[in-house]
Amino acid sequence: MQRTTSRRPLLARPVVVALAAAVALTATACAKTEDDTADNKQSETAAGAEQKVATPKAGGETCTIDAYGAEKIDLKNATVGFSQSEKEANPFRIAETQSIKDEAKKRGVKLLTANAQSQFSKQISDVQNLLAKGADLLVIAPLNSDGWDPVLQAAAAKKVPIITIDRKINAEPCKDYVSFIASDFVEQGRRAADQMIEATGGKGEVAILLGSAGNNVTTERTKGFKERIAEKAPDLKVVFEQTGDFSREKGQQVTEQLIQSKPGIKGIYAENDEMGLGAVTALKGAGKKAGDVKIVTVDGTRNAVQGVVDGWISGVIESNPRFGPLAFQTLDTFTKGEEVPQDIIIQDGAYNADNAKQDIGKAY
Amino acid sequence: MAPPAEVLAVRGLSKTFPGVRALDDVDLTLHPGEVHALIGENGAGKSTLIKLLTGVYRPDAGDITFQGRKVSFATPLEAQKAGISTIYQEVNLIPLLSVARNLFLGREPRNRFGMLDVTRMNREAEEVLGTYGVRVDVRQPLRTLGVGAQQMVALARAVATDARIVVMDEPTSSLEPREVETLFSVIRRLRDAGIAVVYVSHRLDELYAMCSTVTVLRDGRRVHHGPLADLDRLALVSTMLGRDLGDVREEGATKFSGDHQAADTRPVLQAEGLTVPHKLHDVSLSIRPGEVVGLGGLLGSGRTETAKAVSGALARSSGRITVAGVPLRGGSTPAAIRAGISLLPEDRKSEGIVPGLSVRENIALAALPRLSRFGLVSEARVDSIVDTFVERLRIKASSPHQKVGELSGGNQQKVLLARWLAMNPKVLLLDEPTRGIDVGAKAEVQKLVDELAADGLGVLLISSDLEELIEGSDRVVVLKDGAVVGELTGDDVTEDKLMRTIAGGGDPAHDAAKEAATDG
Amino acid sequence: MAEATLRTPPLDRARVLQWLQTYGVYAGVALLLVVNIVITPHFMSAENFRTQAVQVAPVIIVALGMALVIGTEGVDLSVGAVMALAASVTALYLGYGLLPALLVVALFAAGVGLANGALVAFIGVQPIVATLALMVGGRGLALVLLPQLEDLRNPALASLGSGGVAGIPYLILIAAALALLVAFVVRRTTFGRQLLAIGDSRPAAQLAGLPVRRVLIIVYVACALLAAVAGVLATARLQASDPTSLGNLMELSAITAVVVGGTPLTGGRVNIAGTVAGAVLIQLLTATLIKHDLPPSWTQIAQAIVIVCAVYAARGRGKR
Repeated sequence: MQRTTSRRPLLARPVVVALAAAVALTATACAKTEDDTADNKQSETAAGAEQKVATPKAGGETCTIDAYGAEKIDLKNATVGFSQSEKEANPFRIAETQSIKDEAKKRGVKLLTANAQSQFSKQISDVQNLLAKGADLLVIAPLNSDGWDPVLQAAAAKKVPIITIDRKINAEPCKDYVSFIASDFVEQGRRAADQMIEATGGKGEVAILLGSAGNNVTTERTKGFKERIAEKAPDLKVVFEQTGDFSREKGQQVTEQLIQSKPGIKGIYAENDEMGLGAVTALKGAGKKAGDVKIVTVDGTRNAVQGVVDGWISGVIESNPRFGPLAFQTLDTFTKGEEVPQDIIIQDGAYNADNAKQDIGKAY
Repeated sequence: MAPPAEVLAVRGLSKTFPGVRALDDVDLTLHPGEVHALIGENGAGKSTLIKLLTGVYRPDAGDITFQGRKVSFATPLEAQKAGISTIYQEVNLIPLLSVARNLFLGREPRNRFGMLDVTRMNREAEEVLGTYGVRVDVRQPLRTLGVGAQQMVALARAVATDARIVVMDEPTSSLEPREVETLFSVIRRLRDAGIAVVYVSHRLDELYAMCSTVTVLRDGRRVHHGPLADLDRLALVSTMLGRDLGDVREEGATKFSGDHQAADTRPVLQAEGLTVPHKLHDVSLSIRPGEVVGLGGLLGSGRTETAKAVSGALARSSGRITVAGVPLRGGSTPAAIRAGISLLPEDRKSEGIVPGLSVRENIALAALPRLSRFGLVSEARVDSIVDTFVERLRIKASSPHQKVGELSGGNQQKVLLARWLAMNPKVLLLDEPTRGIDVGAKAEVQKLVDELAADGLGVLLISSDLEELIEGSDRVVVLKDGAVVGELTGDDVTEDKLMRTIAGGGDPAHDAAKEAATDG
Repeated sequence: MAEATLRTPPLDRARVLQWLQTYGVYAGVALLLVVNIVITPHFMSAENFRTQAVQVAPVIIVALGMALVIGTEGVDLSVGAVMALAASVTALYLGYGLLPALLVVALFAAGVGLANGALVAFIGVQPIVATLALMVGGRGLALVLLPQLEDLRNPALASLGSGGVAGIPYLILIAAALALLVAFVVRRTTFGRQLLAIGDSRPAAQLAGLPVRRVLIIVYVACALLAAVAGVLATARLQASDPTSLGNLMELSAITAVVVGGTPLTGGRVNIAGTVAGAVLIQLLTATLIKHDLPPSWTQIAQAIVIVCAVYAARGRGKR
């Protein structure tokens, strides 16, 4: 086809780029949010909020530096590399990264960080970069469980010990990596069930707002909840299970449908705080009062704990993101040549009407 | 000297498409070292013949004997492997691969490990292209080269793949004069190497410079073949156009009334020095109110391009246009339309009608802003305009709400005319207004053109139908290779004179016309 | 060939397909309503219809803009990102009050629309590529401006999200008003007709002297503004700005609504009533499956079946 018009790409392109840049700059320059006058509520580690170990060394498999085949170093003089999996756009990841940074600062350890922005290929190259930049020890929050062989080989070649946090990688402990520190998601589900049984009196119909499909957190939190209900309160029936994709908006929409079609619902178990807060918004919109429908959520963010204080949420099971102290403690013990457990399970806290008010400072 | 054995012999080739006999019992013979001109107007069957030779189509009847064996190619690739290569107007190589990769595509040199030997490939590519006068960095992607150089790469590739026949379809249409020279020297080398070349072009100078033999197709049939030297330019043109010299038919076959009363006033349209790179060179013409000016010339001579350049649809690199004494500012289509220039494009289906919209919407399309107030369309005003023109142009549609795509060609053309007449134009540019429409509608359109001119419009008429052009026009400006080569006025507006001017071969009338053109 | 079948539909099948293309989406909505009235408890309540309407309102608003863009033979993948951008800009400027914040949101959305339109109209980038760039960049910018969810307590915003007039939520009123406005623009204005002509045959529109570039730019700006309206409304309803997940996959819901509603992807035709019905159809389908607690994957499969049916029906018509 004949081109029937003249084009001006040379003019248009820089104009578009310049426009975009100018907009982005001016946007933040004179912004004013609702909270600008209030003090910034984000994230210094609150006292008493650090992780505690749930499974002490008794009986569990352990690992020492000799068995692992690395050399002893003094943690104070070492460089630690931290690879975060997702961008720090949700409270959990923000608190997790912050905790690692705070602990490194506190101990005076040199820390290198990288963020894979939810792309696994980027995380692999991130870790390789950290190694190249001279990291002596690695802390990794893996995005996937599989596909770590190239990194593990590179680390092994340099004899760099690895600790993984919040998600396990499929490899041999004490050979490919030292230890794995995380919460027990199944246990979180069980404890959420306990709260639900207590709040509802163990009778009636309850609903589950599932997390994203195909996510191990979703499956494990569901498994624990259902197990405990079946075991302890057979009169409590799960009549509704729909995904809210871990987002507040979806949680709200699904809950709206739920209370339309099942007006007699007694409780809602939300597999993260955001969906639970979405459910609260939906209940408010439908003219319900606080406590009409019992809500139990998992994570322990500040907003959800505030919900407990306000009476809309019956209980919040904590999933503690503050890995810093425990991770560095483990590294310290390990590099001194003492033995550390291969699996370190965190003891998570919980919030309910009794403790929410005084413990809200621990929430992230 | 006995001619060498023929490399290709085509006998009785025929091909029918639904409703069209595209090729009818055509013969073609090629000898090694022969440069054979294949010519004909639009729809004569050139491209069908080429596509049959190169395996794009299968013939309905007839044989192709290539190097002594009957062949039947299933795909272009098969034809290419057998030794028939085609160089199209648009180069069909891979623009993102390097020049060298394109040159050696499918037969890359390998080293002893079976890996691509890039160093050797690049070195050989440079050597090969050097002999074609192309000196470029062969590691660059092909698309970074100019069109001429790309064509040279395609040619080098064709020769390197042991071609026995090279088909060139308008190879010079987008080349600079210097590149044309290089191409010619390459063609001469091919000829000397015993390769047969089929050369398709409308540029007579090139044909006479390069070709030894010629085949002329018209309406799917072979109407002439033999040595090119036996046919002078005028005879060639008349054979091609199907007009026997000295056999000018009686007037009255068309619905044109004859001369219009071109009042001796200032021109309504004056175009000076229109130049579009590769397409038009310094074209000037003027039209007075009430005058129908024809644009004559062969296919590819720049007729459509002239109309498009005047209407702003084709960006011109230089030139001035004045409408009724007012210089036209800006080169855009809307500016030209505002000034009163309307173009009925050659390709009615894809550039004219908006097929999914109704007759009503199509007629009102260009005039919408005038039929609206504050951006809201006044349905009453649209209705009145539509009713007026449907009646005046006798547009036959089931209702004004029928989709234009469902109408016959003639009615589509009338809808387009109505769209422009609703704009009250000063100048109408009609590019092939009667092509592809039935006889009755054709006569109606011709009559309309007459009436419009009588109403004082300036009309530019482009038509491949010589009869229509001669009888419809008061004056004919003749184009060749994108430049004005003559102008016929008054009693000189005859088919005979037109063909002589197109052929441009030492006719005294030609020089006179040329002088007249430069005077105007 | 298409022309021939159009003039005289020889087969009953062709006629059925054409009927489906025009009325199938309404028949689908009616069918789902009947099925739900029969099998779903508590379905026939004003409260339920209000819930469905409120949930579908943002999708409808985005789909209106999408329908315009698709009418020009384009597509806008950046609508979800614009929603997220609207959410974060709202949060960022709410300190000045709701109205100033909305003005800034409009500025941002117009900026994205201008960039889309300029890329398509001036530089000649294919719409899918141009808007893909803004889809990625827009959400990125939204997250730079507001990295994580923020609760909003502005009373005006809250009442926009949950208040209403005479029991009809603002969301529904706004969506209805916008649908009427867009339908009016398409049917009655110069701009609407030029848009259709450009979508049907761009070369013809160009040679007819239509302001092709201007129309294209306005269409993309309008689409972005509509997406921003949807983003603000969804934020108001949530009473929180959530740029991470707001508007995720919205572009696909909008395109689905448009296509199911009988607007061909080949441009030149815009069916606003059908688009609204398309969005309602998908909403009812999702609601039905959720209310009966069927696995979420069923919703996706059901949507896929509806789309395949719509495309199959569209085949019967063809473009020319």
